[in-house]
Amino acid sequence: MASNILRKLSGTFKNVGLAGSRRVNAAPTVLSRHLSSETQTEPESRPTVRKPDLVARAHVTDFGRYVAECLPKFIQKVQLTGTDELELLVAPEGIVPVISFLKDHHNAQFTNLSDIGGVDVPSRMYRFEVVYNLLSVRYNTRIRVKTYTDELTPLDSVNDVHKAANWYEREIWDMFGVFFADHPDLRRILTDYGFEGHPFRKDFPLSGFVELRYDDTKKRVVVEPLELAQEFRRFELNSPWEQFPNFRDTTVIEEAAPAAEKK
Amino acid sequence: MATGKAASVVTRQVRPILSLSHNEARMRALALYKAWYRQIPHTVNENDFPKSVKQCRQKLREEFMKHKDVKDVRVIDMLIIKGQMELQETATKWKQSMHIMAYWKDTVNKKPTDFYSKFLEGKD
Repeated sequence: MASNILRKLSGTFKNVGLAGSRRVNAAPTVLSRHLSSETQTEPESRPTVRKPDLVARAHVTDFGRYVAECLPKFIQKVQLTGTDELELLVAPEGIVPVISFLKDHHNAQFTNLSDIGGVDVPSRMYRFEVVYNLLSVRYNTRIRVKTYTDELTPLDSVNDVHKAANWYEREIWDMFGVFFADHPDLRRILTDYGFEGHPFRKDFPLSGFVELRYDDTKKRVVVEPLELAQEFRRFELNSPWEQFPNFRDTTVIEEAAPAAEKK
Repeated sequence: MATGKAASVVTRQVRPILSLSHNEARMRALALYKAWYRQIPHTVNENDFPKSVKQCRQKLREEFMKHKDVKDVRVIDMLIIKGQMELQETATKWKQSMHIMAYWKDTVNKKPTDFYSKFLEGKD
């Protein structure tokens, strides 16, 4: 029965080791044969692979559906990633209400803003995705809230809800150039003073636009436009750290509450 | 979003950054220019870099005139915000003289334009 459920899930979880699909070559002892006849399970062939937790998955799905019903105006989509992480896709004008709902609601209590991330997809109409990672210490769960914007549309700052957002939003401003309205102290945080451009944008070249060197006659560091010799212009854009591209684990994203979107 | 798509043919409803009209953006730009103009004597006095107040004000004018053809209100606002941040960095002396001197680009050689100087440069 258990293996039957696992086999049904194998479409969503590629890496789950299916009992029976790969037999271990070890000679079965009397004890193990006895056990297997009792429980109808094969010995674990891939113990390091995460097994699907159906109960937690159901909880997360229910919670996602509940939040989508509570805030139908702002939440455009609720989805689960392949590893059962709940994601709320939110309209940009609703980011503060959604984050404060998640913080203050008794059954959520996402009181910790772990991180704010950014994604740049230049082909989209709203090219930037801003991702808020929240942690509920009370229920030991995490949630991800995503919204979108472009270069000139300001997002509301969630600094009033989570004080941690102050530096995270400064980082997003510095790296992507997303402007946060009502931020108390929006200025650069990682780049040097006088630096032009936003380095995490996709149209920002890997080598940058300028180079700095110490000039001996001027007795100071000078900024000069970068000139690369032709042999250094061959950029390898593939990630050097991906060692097994043929076995890339593509994340499966499925919708948790499709009905909520239609309303 | 469906209404937004339909409206985008004629005009797109966008959220303003600071200014609601072109006139307001213009006032902000002038205010920023004035703030820089008044800051320059202090900056020259307090930092050690080989430029006079007059040269700095000329550079200030140059930097503003770079963007004189910008018409989009939101783009103007974004430039004003960045200019305001730079002013803060200059006034609070987060910028060192090296960062201030970076406006002049005095070590950058002009690229050769005519055939003869290109030939002497060894590039084509």
